[in-house]
Amino acid sequence: MKVVIAGAGSVGRYMARQLLAAGHTVTLIDQLPSVRQRHTDDADGVAWCVGDACEVDTLTAAGVSDADVVAAVTGDDEDNLVIALLSKQEFGVPRTVGRVNHPNNEWMFNDMWGVDVSVSTPHLLTAVVEEAVNIGSFVRLLNLGAGKAGLAEVTLTESSPAAGSRIDALDLPRECTIVALIRDRHVVVPRGDTGLLAGDEVLVLVTRDAEADVHRVLVG
Amino acid sequence: MPRFWRRRHDDGHEPDDPKAVPIADARARARVRVRGEVVQMRTRPVHGLPSLSITIRDDTGTATIVFAGRREVGGITLGRRLVIEGVAVDSNGTLEFTNPAYTLLSP
Repeated sequence: MKVVIAGAGSVGRYMARQLLAAGHTVTLIDQLPSVRQRHTDDADGVAWCVGDACEVDTLTAAGVSDADVVAAVTGDDEDNLVIALLSKQEFGVPRTVGRVNHPNNEWMFNDMWGVDVSVSTPHLLTAVVEEAVNIGSFVRLLNLGAGKAGLAEVTLTESSPAAGSRIDALDLPRECTIVALIRDRHVVVPRGDTGLLAGDEVLVLVTRDAEADVHRVLVG
Repeated sequence: MPRFWRRRHDDGHEPDDPKAVPIADARARARVRVRGEVVQMRTRPVHGLPSLSITIRDDTGTATIVFAGRREVGGITLGRRLVIEGVAVDSNGTLEFTNPAYTLLSP
């Protein structure tokens, strides 16, 4: 996959390294030539493009025309929106990812602005803290499909109606799938005959409409 | 202000521009110009904000054009012929343009 990352700060560079290691072709865009100079050894094998990613010319030079994914991860929400919109509107990029810096701006990161997937650090942090303190409750970890579905997590308590049941015996709605269990720090790939136990962290992919049903089955 | 906003509507092309291609021949992810008649118009709210989605058709196929944040676009009505220029995304086999440059042709 060809990935273009706009914003070569710590987030952008980290992503570039990870994606490169995973075998993807990565181009980083940053406005400041000094950023590139400081980090030349940092991301060996990553193509760099110095310029303003809010300009069509820079995006063209970075090869957005045939990119599979554009990730707009600058520290500026306005820029991230413009980059996502340009990628979609001017280059028809199939998948755009936008980083939300300020949680109040999250509502704008949707297809109106050409954003397919938004990632909000404040939102993720809140979710993780919630998960750490709220055993037995339903925690949304990640929104997918412009918020129509998401990945949620429930840590089962003794009182959960699902504790002690097999997955295929649960009355789960069709609009959800249990995608993983974390038991004693090990990830268990669930099958129908997998039994759920109190203390299991259950990761479930669920549409927004079916959340209440999943909540009823797993939390009670 | 980025340059792309300014160049959006200064379309110097003649309406019957020979560079327009049949919709069936237009490819996603390349700048193309197509010409067709508006056969469907739909306003659908996206996250509470308006969005105008129109379908144009020529003899070879149809394409979708989305104007984000708009309830209407002056001059675009059912039956109107348009020239659309932009880069489309392939949306389940249909070309979808987002906020493309457009030219109204005489009915």
